[in-house]
Amino acid sequence: MNDAVVPTHAPELTLSSLYRDHRSWLESWLRRRLGNAWDAADLSQDTFLRVLASAQPLAQMQEPRAYLVTVGKRLLVNFHQRRSLEQAYLNALASLPEASVPSPEQRWLVLETLQALDELLDGLPVLVRRAFLWSQLEGLGYREIAERLDVSERTVKRYMAQAYEHCLLVDL
Amino acid sequence: MSRDVARAAAQWLALLESGAATERDHAALQHWRDSHPQHEQTWQKAQSLRQRFSALPQALAMASLDRPQPGRRAVLKRALGVAALVPAAWLLSRQLPIDAWRADLHTATGERKRLSLAEGASLQLNTATAVDVDLAQRRITLVDGELALNVPGTTAMTVHTRYGQLRVSQAEVCVRQQASGCLVSVLKGAVQVRDLNGQLATLQGGQQAPLKASGLGAWAAFDVLQLGWRDGVLTAQNQPLGDFLRELERYRPGVLRWDPSLEALRVTGSFRLDDTDRILNLLAQSHGFKVQARTKYWVTLS
Repeated sequence: MNDAVVPTHAPELTLSSLYRDHRSWLESWLRRRLGNAWDAADLSQDTFLRVLASAQPLAQMQEPRAYLVTVGKRLLVNFHQRRSLEQAYLNALASLPEASVPSPEQRWLVLETLQALDELLDGLPVLVRRAFLWSQLEGLGYREIAERLDVSERTVKRYMAQAYEHCLLVDL
Repeated sequence: MSRDVARAAAQWLALLESGAATERDHAALQHWRDSHPQHEQTWQKAQSLRQRFSALPQALAMASLDRPQPGRRAVLKRALGVAALVPAAWLLSRQLPIDAWRADLHTATGERKRLSLAEGASLQLNTATAVDVDLAQRRITLVDGELALNVPGTTAMTVHTRYGQLRVSQAEVCVRQQASGCLVSVLKGAVQVRDLNGQLATLQGGQQAPLKASGLGAWAAFDVLQLGWRDGVLTAQNQPLGDFLRELERYRPGVLRWDPSLEALRVTGSFRLDDTDRILNLLAQSHGFKVQARTKYWVTLS
């Protein structure tokens, strides 16, 4: 009897009932982890948007809160990665000599590009990522990269191919 | 695009950048690109990726993207633990607030705070403000931004700024610190000011004066509506729009730009600071200009 999967007495789950019944619970769950209400409200909205966009049929969802938490956790990780990028960026800006600090518009533009590239590179092994950055940003040749990482030039070439392939496959 | 095409393009790129590619390799690459539209598309995508990297300021990009990576598991752990105090993106549009991060109390751009101190005294912080509070010494150090301090009792509190000190008792004062100096406005009572050279002077209620490295400037009367932020209100009385927007900018994270032709328009009204987007939209309606949001943090008026 497959019908038993959906208990007949449970009201059917819709996005609006999910939102109505669990939004404030999810927000307080997020707020405890973020320490502030604004980011929690933002992330909770994002979580529901993800749920809306996902293929998972709501009506069959057994544990809505567990599902929301799974999506919410993923967004929290992204959120913290963004924050750690922002922090590294701010620290780098702060250590620049006054004269070479970019204008406010440029600071934002650069940050946006950095965020996009940071997401793009996410998931690459640390050494591959570093080798790729040295090549792209500092224009280092494979030999120098090989020396710095203490690996062979062949390995560097393999790293580069791996990084390019990873980037080209994202958002295909 | 298939994984195979991406892989092939990646191999070509890795070969080209190795510096070991021969004439024949170049010809073979050209042939590969020409042999299928998807190959060429992938190739172009790779080129635009390279351009995005090369357009970045090198040192900044390297320090940000090659920051120590705690690894996904550690990130998750931290994400699920108690929130760390991290500076938000709003800081970027202001001068670099290194001192501000280290301060005891701060407000983000657009945020305001009120604190009750001992003996009925109260402290209010305006947007993007940082202060150190030493209650044992009854001393408040204004690191950055703007504060209002009300001390109804007779035991004085001092406010330290980069340009001098204020002694406040049975008085209420508002201090705004900027790069060039402070603006001191006394709302009630009398406030003693000591400049960096040790000169003493007194400002009375209703008087406002600049305090700079060179000392306390001449006082002038001021309109208390200027300090409406204490009640969350920004008030303008036939003010040039440019001046109004420069004031409003303090309360908005990100960048606000406007067409110079808007500078001279006039604004009158009281606006709630809680929602500065709404203020912009109201003004756009009444003055017939357009609000364009390039991103959430970059808005242009024209």
